[in-house]
Order: sequence, then structure tokens, then C-alpha cells
Amino acid sequence: MRTPLMRFAALVAVTALAFGACGGGTTSPSASTESTAPSATTAAVATPSGPATVPPGGPVQVRWFCCLGGGDDESQQKTFADLIKTFNASHLNIKVVFDHTSYEGARQAFSVKLASGNPPDIVGPLGVGGASAFEGQWLDLQPYVDRNKIDLSAYDQGAVDLYKAGGQGLLGIPFAIYPSELYFQPDMFDEAKLEYPPVKYGDQYKMPDGSMVDWNYDTVRQVALMLTLDKSGKNATEAGFDPTKIVQYGFEPQRDDLRTMGAAFFASARLLADDGKTAQIPDAWAAAWKWVYDGMWKDHFIMTDQVYRTPAFNGGGYAFNSGKVAMQENFLWDVCCVTEAGGNWNLAALPSYNGKVTAAMNADTFRITKNSKHPDEAFEFLNFLVTGAGKTPMLNAISGFPALKSDQGGYFAQLEQQKDDKGKLIYPSAINWDVVTQAIQFADINPNSEAFMPNYNKSLDVLVKYLTRFTGTKGLNIDTELGKMKTELQAVFDKAS
Amino acid sequence: MTAIAVRRPQRRSALVRREARWGVLFIAPWIIGFLAFTLIPMVATLAFTFTNINLEQKDPLSFVGLRNYQALLNDGQAWDSLGVTLRFALIALPVGVILPFLVALLLSSRQLKGAGVFRVLFFLPYVVPFVAGVLIWQTMLNPTDGWVDVFLRAIGVADPPDWLRDTSWVYAGLVMMGLWGIGGGVIVYLAGLKGIPSELYDAARIDGAGYVAQLRHVTIPMLTPVIFYTLVLGIVEVLQYFLVPLVLNQGTGEPGGSTLFLNLYIYKSFFGYHDLAYGSTIAWFLFGLTLLITLVLFGTARRWVYYASDR
Repeated sequence: MRTPLMRFAALVAVTALAFGACGGGTTSPSASTESTAPSATTAAVATPSGPATVPPGGPVQVRWFCCLGGGDDESQQKTFADLIKTFNASHLNIKVVFDHTSYEGARQAFSVKLASGNPPDIVGPLGVGGASAFEGQWLDLQPYVDRNKIDLSAYDQGAVDLYKAGGQGLLGIPFAIYPSELYFQPDMFDEAKLEYPPVKYGDQYKMPDGSMVDWNYDTVRQVALMLTLDKSGKNATEAGFDPTKIVQYGFEPQRDDLRTMGAAFFASARLLADDGKTAQIPDAWAAAWKWVYDGMWKDHFIMTDQVYRTPAFNGGGYAFNSGKVAMQENFLWDVCCVTEAGGNWNLAALPSYNGKVTAAMNADTFRITKNSKHPDEAFEFLNFLVTGAGKTPMLNAISGFPALKSDQGGYFAQLEQQKDDKGKLIYPSAINWDVVTQAIQFADINPNSEAFMPNYNKSLDVLVKYLTRFTGTKGLNIDTELGKMKTELQAVFDKAS
Repeated sequence: MTAIAVRRPQRRSALVRREARWGVLFIAPWIIGFLAFTLIPMVATLAFTFTNINLEQKDPLSFVGLRNYQALLNDGQAWDSLGVTLRFALIALPVGVILPFLVALLLSSRQLKGAGVFRVLFFLPYVVPFVAGVLIWQTMLNPTDGWVDVFLRAIGVADPPDWLRDTSWVYAGLVMMGLWGIGGGVIVYLAGLKGIPSELYDAARIDGAGYVAQLRHVTIPMLTPVIFYTLVLGIVEVLQYFLVPLVLNQGTGEPGGSTLFLNLYIYKSFFGYHDLAYGSTIAWFLFGLTLLITLVLFGTARRWVYYASDR
């Protein structure tokens, strides 16, 4: 429980740090409004409905905090505003108020709100990592799900389990998921006279000599070497290849986070041991980081950070989008921007490690804060967004792949119809969208790569440091570095206890 | 005595009182800003150093005495960061004080044609937004296709440095970036040079002093107040060095912790880890250190800084 002194101090902190992020902070009217949420099942689109009259004392104010995850984009903000308007118009007992802090400052602003005893009611869209940073602050939604008869079997079990992983109940209803895939450039494969990667999990790959091999990271390495070209057109397997003059790279890992830079694609694991206190480096993750490191500094089929930072290869933060990378591992949300990689990209199956495929997965949903003053009303709005009339516009706004199985089939059909400002279709025809749904069964659910770690923000800081080091420094002994990283993580974990 | 009595407030004329009111009114925005954004936050952070306030904490707020200061003494990272800051200062300060002086000397030379153009050119980078400047330099120092290394390769350096990723070269790279900001110092030195009476040079020439002797016995002594001013500001700036490493490496301190400056560590404690108590403690430590160095410098000033008005 927060003391009044703590609240006061936190408010002083707000001033002291000039955060300038103060929410509505309104006290709710005392009206004990019974939840009027539509008894929506996930199979049906709910129509918003609520009391026709404003209750005595005025509507209950529900504050929606954004953006600990996505949502900063102007077009998204417009959709959010429209959804609030629609909801408020049909729920006279509730007034949803949008509380926006852009992603860069959102964690600080949200921390201040929590510490000052003034938490927003509903938060989202929010990924696993964003939620893990505030573990223990989320409301168990299971009683609300039961009361509203929401059918969780309509979702992939893995997606549901993702929100039960912390052992604190059901902290979210599956909404948008982003399985990962292998993106590739068919033209580069054609030019190198290489077979395309398999589009079905379990299929083998045909090497140039005709042999059939497993589609695993050894195979990817060999293929990536052949797809890495220098200025004179030599590939990385040929004599005379000049690694200082590379014009095309064979492979690009997901490099936003050390946990997804190879690691979570090799195996579902975490850096916190099961005892909840001890730092660990999972063997598969160590193998993944060595694979990526050697790919950068020894084999040269992955670009170093020095190259990645150059405008020619950066691709707006995702090197594959530069059009100079043959393959990349990334999440589905990258389809938004991969169109910049040229007009002929496609999707394929992810490779396996030690005979097992792991597809790192991101997921967004909405959560209610544990200390929300109006959890019933907040759930009513959450239900509107996640299973009700707000679901489709919201999914479209955040480019989210629906977690609801019955919605998944139509998702790619509508995606294929999307056109740019000039009326041209955005996505190439014949994209292997099927690999996206196939990947869900291989998702890293428990543990997810973004799962909780003690002292989360400080732990992340250690990971960012080693990500920068691995991608930017040649000649490292990765085993030694991982030993150091483990020690640093342990020190950070220990401080949390 | 009578004069003092006349100046008592109750004897002020209506005009004086009205002017005083307007004066207070006009200065009020600054006073409010100073209170809200400087004095109160300073007092608040001092108070924080004796508490356990942390925006992520589960424990209730409590008074912890000097525990944060004790933690600071035992925090290896804080001392490493102080070492980083001092090492960088040893390189950056001489360059930041001496180079603008030399440039100002060149720009004030009578032999230089188009001095005005050069002054503008030297000052122009100073007005480029700092973050933009850092990003431009980051590209220029890129070992793959940055202009600096491309140039070095062109003149025969086979393996030019990775300026921002090699611990041996990173401070040189940062100092090079800092060169863009010397325009402000150059202007100050130029103003100082203009203020030196020409009679002193005439007298020195009559005494047979050449250029070097004039520089040593006239220019430098007369410029010591400006040098002192630049040095004090330089020390404060270098102890607060922060933005460049934050922009370059997202504040990771890479390569190898060599850019985790003390002020960056303060920022991370506050805004990364939300540990207001400990962040405030390091901030007050840095404030104390800066104050101490500045006081020592002021203490030495009377031995080497020449003020004509003191004579």
C-alpha cells in the first residue's frame, strides 16, 4: 500500500523531474454502476451498448494510457479518438479519456502515475516486454472473462497461456499477435541460382549440389554465405571475396533486442532461472549469439553495427528494408515496412536448431491496472476494444494479426487488397502467408523472450550494452563476454531482492 | 542618517512604489520559473538523497539517512564513471581551451584576408542543433564509409581507426566532435583580443619584442580573464558531458564502458532505473565535486589571472 507521504513525494518528484505528465486525476463519482458489458463471446462482434441516461453524479471517468507499446502514429491516434467517441456515445455511464505519452517517455510517465497512487485504468496496446517492466501492476481478468462468458477456447491455447505465464491469473485477453517468419528476396536467390527456402515447416532444403538437407541454422549459414556479395560480384564462399566491400548481405537477425537477436529463434528460454533469483545464460541462446557474432565478424554474411548504421544499409532501422539483404528473421509487424525492400519479397519457414523450430512471438493487448479505481468500467471498455466493435478498427490501426482464430483467415485477404495513395497494391502477390499461421505452433510462449526479469529496466540496460558490444566490436571471446554478462545480470537481479 | 531615513519604504513616493510593483511583476515569470524548475527541484533532490524513493519500489517511502551516500562509496560503477569523466577531461579540456585561442589569434591576424568570412564559418557549426551535429559526426566517423576514414585510406592509412567503437580512439573521436563547438569560444577570445589596448603592443615593439614575446608578455597576460572564464565553463561542461554518448550509443557506455560518463550514469539512474534517491545522490556528489574544483580554480586565480581594474 502506498502511504500519503509516498504519494506526496512522488508528486514532488514529478515537479522535480519536470515530467509534466499529469493525468486527469479525477475522482470518480460514487455511482456504483454495474457492468453493462455486452455478454460478448469472442465469436461474435459485440455492439456497444450501455445505459441510455447519464447516472447521477455524471459518468465514471476511465483513463486509457498509451503508449507503452505501439500507438504513437498519427493515424493510430485518430482511430483511437474515433473509438473513444463511439464508445462514449453508446455508454453514457462511462467517459473514456485518452492519456497519451509517446513511447520514449511512457515508462517514466507510467511509473510516476503508479507511484503517485494515480494509476490509469486501462493500458495498451501493450506488449509482453512493456507489461513485464511493470510486473505485479496488472489486474487478473479471469473473473471478468468468466462473468462475461468470453470463450477463450476460440484463441490458440499458446496465445492464452502467454497471459497466464506469470502465475498471477489471466492478465490479458489475446488480441494481436505477431509470429515471426523468415523474410526473403526471391530475386537474390534466383541470381545466385539457389532454391527458395521451404515454405512448410519440416520440409528440407535442396542445396546447389542437389543434396537435400534439413532447414536449420547450419544450412542458413551456407546459403547466406552464397548470397553475400562483394562489389566485384564474388560471394562469401569464393576466393578473393573482399569483406570490406560487401554490397549485399545474406542474412539479417532481429536486432532490436539481444533476446531476439538469434536467441529466441534458437529456443524458448529466459535469462532468469526457475528459482526466480538466479541469472542464467541458456545454452541455446549462447549458441545463437555465437552464430550471429561469427556471422558478422568471421563469415561476414551479417552486417556489423558499423555497416548497419550507414544510410545505404540501415533501411530505416530494419536492414532488410534496404533491399540489400537476402534473408531476415523478424516478426509479422515488419510487414508494415518491408514493402520498402522492393516489390518482390516473400515469406518462408524459420530454420530449426537442434531439430526443433522456435518462432519468437510478440503480442499486444490491453490490460487493466491492479489499482484501477474503476475496474468494471475499464473492463467494459477493454471488452469493446478486444472482442467488441472496436476490435477490427484497432487491429487494423496497429497492423495486428488477430489472435482470434476465426478472424485469422480473413486477415491476409484484406491485407492483400490494401493499396497505397496511388491506388497500387502494397503487397506483392502470392505471398506465402500460410507460414505465419504455421509459426504459431512454434511460438516461444512459456517462457516468452520478453518475460519478466527482476529489476527489469536495469536488466534490459545490461542486454542493450552487450547487444551494442557484440554487434560493434570485433575479436571478442563470446564465452568470456557471456560470463561477464551473467555476473552483471546477477548483480542487477540481486538488487531487486 | 537623514538619507537613510528618506529611503525607508514607507517614505517612498507613489511613483517608486508603482515602479517596484511593475518591476516585481516583470521579473515574476523568471522567479516562478526559477522556483519551480531550479530551486524546488534542487531542494527536493537533496531531500531524496536521504530517502529510498524509487518509482518502481514496492516498499513504502522511508528515511534512510546516509545509506545512499554509503552505497555511492561502494558503487564501483560510479567510480568507474568518474574515472571516465576525468580521463576525457584531461584530453578535452586542453583542446577546448587552447584551440579556440589559437583560432582566434589566426582570425585576428592582420595578414588574414576575408577574416569575417572565416569567423562566420567557424561559428556556423555552433548554431547547428547539437543532436543533429552528433549524428552528422557519427556518419563522418563511420569506419566503413565515413569521410574521415575514407580520407585516411586515400592517404595510405591501411587500417584507419574505428573512432567510436575502439576504446583507444573513442576519446579522440569525441574530442573531434567537440571541435564543432569551438565557435563560441573563438568569439569570446576574439572579443578579448579586441579589448587589449594597442598601446601595449606599441610599447612592446619599441622595447624590441617580436611576435612570440608580444604573445607571451602582452596577449596571454591580458587574456587571462578570458582564459579563466573559458576554463571554468569548460570544467563545468566536461563534468556534465552527457548528450553525445547518449545519442551515440543509447547510453550503453560502449565501447567497454569507456563512454559511461558520470552524468550519463545519473541520467540512467533517474530515467532508466527510476531510482530517484540514488540518482539524486550521485547528482549532489557531482555538484559538490564541480563546486570544489571551481573553488580551487578561483583560489588560484589571483596568482595568474590579471584584472586591470585590480591594479
